[in-house]
Amino acid sequence: MDSHVIVVTSGKGGVGKTTTTANLAAALARMGKKVVAIDGDVGLRNLDVIMGLENRIVYTLIDAIDGACRLRQALIKDKRLENLFMIPTAQSKTKDSVSAEQMVAVCDELRADFDYIIVDSPAGIEAGFKNAAAGVDEALVVTTPEVSAVRDADRIIGLLESMEKSPIRLIVNRIRPHMMEKGDMLGVADVLDILAIDLIGMVPEDESVVKSANAGEPLTISSDSPAARAFKNIAARLVGDNIPFMPVDSTSGNGNLFGRLKRVFGL
Amino acid sequence: MIKIKGTADSMMRCIISEGMPAEELPAALGDIRLRGQRILRGAEVILDFGARKLDERLVSRILTDFVWPSEVRVVAWITYDAESQDNMKRAGFSTSEPVPATARAKLPGTAPSLVLERSLRSGQRVEHSGDVIIDGHVNDGAEVLSTGNITVLGRLNGLVHAGCEGDEGTIVIARSMEALQVRIGGRIGSLERGAQWWGKMVTVRVDDGSVLIDYWPALK
Ligand SMILES: Nc1ncnc2c1ncn2[C@@H]1O[C@H](COP(=O)(O)OP(=O)(O)O)[C@@H](O)[C@H]1O
Ligand SMILES: [Mg+2]
Repeated sequence: MDSHVIVVTSGKGGVGKTTTTANLAAALARMGKKVVAIDGDVGLRNLDVIMGLENRIVYTLIDAIDGACRLRQALIKDKRLENLFMIPTAQSKTKDSVSAEQMVAVCDELRADFDYIIVDSPAGIEAGFKNAAAGVDEALVVTTPEVSAVRDADRIIGLLESMEKSPIRLIVNRIRPHMMEKGDMLGVADVLDILAIDLIGMVPEDESVVKSANAGEPLTISSDSPAARAFKNIAARLVGDNIPFMPVDSTSGNGNLFGRLKRVFGL
Repeated sequence: MIKIKGTADSMMRCIISEGMPAEELPAALGDIRLRGQRILRGAEVILDFGARKLDERLVSRILTDFVWPSEVRVVAWITYDAESQDNMKRAGFSTSEPVPATARAKLPGTAPSLVLERSLRSGQRVEHSGDVIIDGHVNDGAEVLSTGNITVLGRLNGLVHAGCEGDEGTIVIARSMEALQVRIGGRIGSLERGAQWWGKMVTVRVDDGSVLIDYWPALK
């Protein structure tokens, strides 16, 4: 199968990687793609909770790697969406309990059965990120518009470039409407100007994200909240649909906006 | 892809494209060794890796598959990745551009200008004995150290240190100044976000012991 194997990562923690992984996996499955989301953030274990699959875990990624079970036994099939699967990780293990070679083998084995293999990973500055990302071809970098998150994202993009991941695309998460360029917040156009990679989506700050995490149901399964729509758009762009971007003027600070807009629209 | 260029000082510069997968690199260098055995023996070679990260495994494979069997002398391992630079230096490898004899004769200790046609990301660093021109941005978290002058044609967010071996007659030029600090020789100039120079084209120099920033062109 001509699969897409994608890591979802960030420079800084807590910017929305797991949220993005769960929502994109569900949105792609709804579009008829066969999808598996892998929790590559060993030791933190929260993708299964966000996806509402935690009480179905029998085996984990670590069990499959250690040979305690076969990889397909660690696959949990979602009951809400026909094509959606996930592989949970173990909470009790440390970040170095999965090697790069093992992750490559896991991803390669799954290529035969899935259209999309999405790996949720630790933040790029943490140990374990390189191994989690070893088996993927593409990367989605999630950042918030904060100065410190953008600087850390920049570093991780350099790292992903040196790991020859391609394409490397950007998601700007937790955008507030009419965001002011004040203090440590940047406009989306400025974020793009600094990071200089292709934008694949902008996700608004939306309290339904937190509610859906608590309920264990990704928004893209049945919600139509602003964040749900944003994640569905990203999924559509991933499969190659040409979905226009929302105007960034309300999210942008000052500066040479006109020149930068071209970049945002011209994808 | 690996490109080989002769330098003014009859050294060889191997430019190793960043996009080339690390696993293929030792074999590609091995191939060059087989094709160029006679020219390579005893030659002085600069290995230019761009922003590639150099880890122990890659370096030892390059040594065993290329450097030792071909009997070249590697005069510099060039990478813009700051962490790799530190590791290489600690292991005793030279990471700075060699100074050609021709330049040495004219201006002691000074290499030709380094023109870098790229932006530097956070965690990347350029060090050079001589002037540096960055044809790109210097992002927050990136560093440029030069014994001479530094020109940034893009946005300057990161840290630049001109005259880093003490020359306070050097200057920094930035197309868009957005850095909180600029270093020249032993002096540090600091700037506030949103100050009048912020985002403007400026020159920075030391005058009478203090760091002065000015618009370019200067207001009369
Ligand atoms: N667009 C958003 N709007 C509101 N809250 C969000 C949004 N994206 C993420 N969050 C919240 O931010 C927190 C961190 O998100 P998470 O996906 O776990 O980040 P990471 O995996 O990068 O550590 C969670 O509480 C999540 O619900
Ligand atoms: Mg997470």
